[in-house]
Amino acid sequence: MEEDKSTSPAKAEVRILKDGPIMIKGVIRFRDSSGNVTTGEQELYICRCGGSANKPWCDETHKKIGIAY
Amino acid sequence: MDANDKKYTNGEITVFWQPKKCIHATTCYRELIEVFNPRKRPWVNMNGASTEEIVRVVKLCPTQALSFKYNNDIRDEEQKEKTAEGAETGAEVRVMEDGPLVVKGNFVIYDTDGKELKHLKLTSLCRCGSSHDLPYCDGTHRKIGFTGK
Repeated sequence: MEEDKSTSPAKAEVRILKDGPIMIKGVIRFRDSSGNVTTGEQELYICRCGGSANKPWCDETHKKIGIAY
Repeated sequence: MDANDKKYTNGEITVFWQPKKCIHATTCYRELIEVFNPRKRPWVNMNGASTEEIVRVVKLCPTQALSFKYNNDIRDEEQKEKTAEGAETGAEVRVMEDGPLVVKGNFVIYDTDGKELKHLKLTSLCRCGSSHDLPYCDGTHRKIGFTGK
Protein backbone atom coordinates (compact mmCIF):
# COMPACT_ATOMS: atom_id res chain seq x y z
CA MET A 1 0.00 0.00 0.00
CA GLU A 2 1.07 3.53 -0.74
CA GLU A 3 2.13 5.75 2.12
CA ASP A 4 0.12 8.94 2.44
CA LYS A 5 2.39 11.93 1.94
CA SER A 6 -0.31 14.55 2.43
CA THR A 7 1.02 17.45 4.43
CA SER A 8 -2.24 19.11 5.48
CA PRO A 9 -2.74 18.94 9.25
CA ALA A 10 -4.74 15.90 10.34
CA LYS A 11 -8.30 16.64 11.35
CA ALA A 12 -8.82 13.32 13.10
CA GLU A 13 -6.87 11.17 15.50
CA VAL A 14 -6.99 7.39 15.86
CA ARG A 15 -5.54 5.86 19.01
CA ILE A 16 -5.09 2.16 19.71
CA LEU A 17 -5.67 2.13 23.46
CA LYS A 18 -3.55 -0.40 25.35
CA ASP A 19 -5.59 -3.51 26.11
CA GLY A 20 -8.66 -1.53 25.13
CA PRO A 21 -10.70 -0.14 22.26
CA ILE A 22 -9.84 2.02 19.26
CA MET A 23 -10.47 5.66 20.03
CA ILE A 24 -11.31 7.94 17.11
CA LYS A 25 -11.57 11.64 17.73
CA GLY A 26 -12.02 14.64 15.47
CA VAL A 27 -13.93 15.50 12.34
CA ILE A 28 -15.20 12.15 11.19
CA ARG A 29 -17.52 10.68 8.65
CA PHE A 30 -18.59 7.44 10.36
CA ARG A 31 -20.42 4.70 8.49
CA ASP A 32 -21.72 1.69 10.43
CA SER A 33 -22.16 -1.77 8.92
CA SER A 34 -25.81 -1.01 8.08
CA GLY A 35 -24.80 2.02 6.06
CA ASN A 36 -25.93 4.67 8.54
CA VAL A 37 -23.69 7.71 8.36
CA THR A 38 -22.91 10.34 10.97
CA THR A 39 -20.62 13.25 10.25
CA GLY A 40 -18.98 15.97 12.27
CA GLU A 41 -16.94 16.33 15.41
CA GLN A 42 -17.10 13.02 17.30
CA GLU A 43 -15.29 10.84 19.80
CA LEU A 44 -15.86 7.13 19.29
CA TYR A 45 -14.69 3.99 21.04
CA ILE A 46 -14.71 0.91 18.83
CA CYS A 47 -14.48 -2.61 20.29
CA ARG A 48 -11.16 -4.28 19.50
CA CYS A 49 -11.43 -7.43 21.63
CA GLY A 50 -14.29 -8.93 19.64
CA GLY A 51 -16.32 -9.52 22.78
CA SER A 52 -18.51 -6.45 23.16
CA ALA A 53 -22.23 -7.11 23.39
CA ASN A 54 -22.84 -3.72 21.85
CA LYS A 55 -20.66 -3.84 18.72
CA PRO A 56 -19.21 -1.85 17.11
CA TRP A 57 -18.98 0.07 20.38
CA CYS A 58 -16.74 -0.86 23.29
CA ASP A 59 -18.67 -1.99 26.38
CA GLU A 60 -15.61 -2.73 28.54
CA THR A 61 -15.86 -6.49 27.96
CA HIS A 62 -12.11 -6.43 27.21
CA LYS A 63 -11.51 -6.05 30.92
CA LYS A 64 -13.13 -9.47 31.47
CA ILE A 65 -11.72 -11.38 28.49
CA GLY A 66 -8.44 -9.51 27.92
CA ILE A 67 -6.73 -8.40 24.72
CA ALA A 68 -3.21 -9.44 23.77
CA TYR A 69 -2.23 -5.99 22.54
CA MET B 1 -34.52 15.60 -6.21
CA ASP B 2 -37.48 13.35 -6.93
CA ALA B 3 -36.97 9.93 -8.55
CA ASN B 4 -39.10 11.00 -11.51
CA ASP B 5 -37.11 14.16 -12.16
CA LYS B 6 -35.25 14.23 -15.45
CA LYS B 7 -32.49 16.26 -16.98
CA TYR B 8 -31.54 16.93 -20.56
CA THR B 9 -28.43 18.61 -21.91
CA ASN B 10 -27.04 19.93 -25.18
CA GLY B 11 -23.53 20.21 -23.73
CA GLU B 12 -23.93 23.91 -23.00
CA ILE B 13 -26.96 23.96 -20.70
CA THR B 14 -28.91 21.32 -18.79
CA VAL B 15 -32.69 21.55 -18.60
CA PHE B 16 -34.26 20.05 -15.48
CA TRP B 17 -37.79 18.67 -15.54
CA GLN B 18 -39.71 18.13 -12.31
CA PRO B 19 -43.02 16.43 -13.27
CA LYS B 20 -44.51 16.95 -9.80
CA LYS B 21 -44.46 20.71 -10.29
CA CYS B 22 -46.05 20.65 -13.76
CA ILE B 23 -49.66 21.88 -14.05
CA HIS B 24 -49.73 21.32 -17.81
CA ALA B 25 -49.97 24.96 -18.66
CA THR B 26 -48.72 23.90 -22.16
CA THR B 27 -46.59 27.03 -22.47
CA CYS B 28 -43.43 25.15 -23.35
CA TYR B 29 -44.76 23.19 -26.28
CA ARG B 30 -46.92 25.99 -27.63
CA GLU B 31 -43.78 28.11 -27.72
CA LEU B 32 -41.27 25.52 -28.88
CA ILE B 33 -42.69 22.19 -30.08
CA GLU B 34 -39.32 21.40 -31.74
CA VAL B 35 -37.82 20.98 -28.27
CA PHE B 36 -40.76 20.29 -25.94
CA ASN B 37 -42.96 17.66 -27.56
CA PRO B 38 -45.08 15.63 -25.10
CA ARG B 39 -45.92 13.08 -27.83
CA LYS B 40 -42.28 12.12 -28.24
CA ARG B 41 -39.92 10.15 -26.02
CA PRO B 42 -37.79 11.62 -24.66
CA TRP B 43 -40.20 14.51 -24.70
CA VAL B 44 -37.38 17.08 -24.60
CA ASN B 45 -35.13 17.30 -27.67
CA MET B 46 -32.21 19.55 -26.80
CA ASN B 47 -31.08 19.68 -30.44
CA GLY B 48 -34.41 21.10 -31.61
CA ALA B 49 -33.48 24.76 -31.13
CA SER B 50 -30.66 27.08 -30.09
CA THR B 51 -29.58 27.39 -26.46
CA GLU B 52 -30.92 30.97 -26.36
CA GLU B 53 -34.33 29.85 -27.60
CA ILE B 54 -34.53 26.97 -25.08
CA VAL B 55 -33.54 29.31 -22.25
CA ARG B 56 -36.21 31.81 -23.30
CA VAL B 57 -38.97 29.17 -23.19
CA VAL B 58 -37.77 27.47 -19.98
CA LYS B 59 -38.02 30.87 -18.29
CA LEU B 60 -41.67 31.11 -19.37
CA CYS B 61 -42.64 27.98 -17.42
CA PRO B 62 -45.15 29.27 -14.85
CA THR B 63 -44.40 26.66 -12.18
CA GLN B 64 -40.66 26.19 -12.69
CA ALA B 65 -41.28 22.53 -13.41
CA LEU B 66 -38.78 23.38 -16.14
CA SER B 67 -35.55 25.01 -15.05
CA PHE B 68 -32.04 25.20 -16.43
CA LYS B 69 -28.42 25.72 -15.53
CA TYR B 70 -25.33 26.38 -17.60
CA ASN B 71 -23.10 23.30 -17.56
CA ASN B 72 -20.12 25.49 -16.67
CA ASP B 73 -21.94 26.62 -13.51
CA ILE B 74 -22.83 23.00 -12.65
CA ARG B 75 -19.15 22.04 -12.90
CA ASP B 76 -18.15 24.98 -10.69
CA GLU B 77 -20.73 23.97 -8.07
CA GLU B 78 -19.52 20.36 -8.05
CA GLN B 79 -15.93 21.53 -7.69
CA LYS B 80 -16.84 23.77 -4.75
CA GLU B 81 -18.71 20.94 -3.03
CA LYS B 82 -15.73 18.62 -3.42
CA THR B 83 -13.32 21.21 -2.02
CA ALA B 84 -15.60 21.88 0.95
CA GLU B 85 -15.92 18.15 1.69
CA GLY B 86 -12.17 17.61 1.60
CA ALA B 87 -11.57 20.53 3.94
CA GLU B 88 -14.19 19.58 6.48
CA THR B 89 -13.80 15.83 6.78
CA GLY B 90 -10.86 14.39 8.63
CA ALA B 91 -11.16 10.65 8.77
CA GLU B 92 -13.66 8.54 6.94
CA VAL B 93 -14.38 5.55 9.16
CA ARG B 94 -16.24 2.46 8.03
CA VAL B 95 -17.29 -0.55 10.07
CA MET B 96 -17.24 -3.66 7.91
CA GLU B 97 -19.82 -6.24 8.97
CA ASP B 98 -18.06 -9.30 10.50
CA GLY B 99 -14.78 -7.59 9.60
CA PRO B 100 -12.36 -4.80 10.39
CA LEU B 101 -12.63 -1.07 10.93
CA VAL B 102 -11.47 0.76 7.83
CA VAL B 103 -10.08 4.27 8.25
CA LYS B 104 -9.06 6.59 5.43
CA GLY B 105 -8.63 10.28 4.83
CA ASN B 106 -6.89 12.95 6.83
CA PHE B 107 -5.90 11.39 10.18
CA VAL B 108 -3.00 10.40 12.40
CA ILE B 109 -2.88 7.04 14.12
CA TYR B 110 -1.07 6.25 17.38
CA ASP B 111 -0.14 2.82 18.67
CA THR B 112 -0.67 1.56 22.24
CA ASP B 113 2.72 3.04 23.22
CA GLY B 114 1.73 6.47 21.91
CA LYS B 115 4.04 6.29 18.88
CA GLU B 116 2.68 7.33 15.53
CA LEU B 117 2.01 4.38 13.26
CA LYS B 118 2.78 4.38 9.56
CA HIS B 119 0.08 6.34 7.86
CA LEU B 120 -1.58 4.48 5.05
CA LYS B 121 -4.18 5.92 2.72
CA LEU B 122 -6.48 3.18 3.87
CA THR B 123 -5.91 1.36 7.14
CA SER B 124 -7.82 -1.75 8.26
CA LEU B 125 -7.86 -2.24 12.02
CA CYS B 126 -8.65 -5.57 13.71
CA ARG B 127 -12.02 -5.82 15.47
CA CYS B 128 -12.05 -9.55 16.22
CA GLY B 129 -9.08 -9.47 18.61
CA SER B 130 -7.33 -12.43 16.94
CA SER B 131 -5.16 -10.87 14.21
CA HIS B 132 -1.49 -11.91 14.21
CA ASP B 133 -0.58 -8.41 13.06
CA LEU B 134 -2.31 -6.27 15.70
CA PRO B 135 -3.51 -3.58 15.59
CA TYR B 136 -4.04 -4.26 11.89
CA CYS B 137 -6.49 -6.69 10.35
CA ASP B 138 -4.88 -9.77 8.78
CA GLY B 139 -8.04 -11.58 7.74
CA THR B 140 -8.12 -13.90 10.78
CA HIS B 141 -11.74 -12.82 11.48
CA ARG B 142 -12.81 -15.06 8.60
CA LYS B 143 -11.06 -18.13 10.03
CA ILE B 144 -12.48 -17.70 13.50
CA GLY B 145 -15.96 -16.84 12.24
CA PHE B 146 -16.09 -13.40 13.88
CA THR B 147 -19.51 -11.80 13.75
CA GLY B 148 -20.13 -8.21 14.63
CA LYS B 149 -22.08 -5.21 13.47
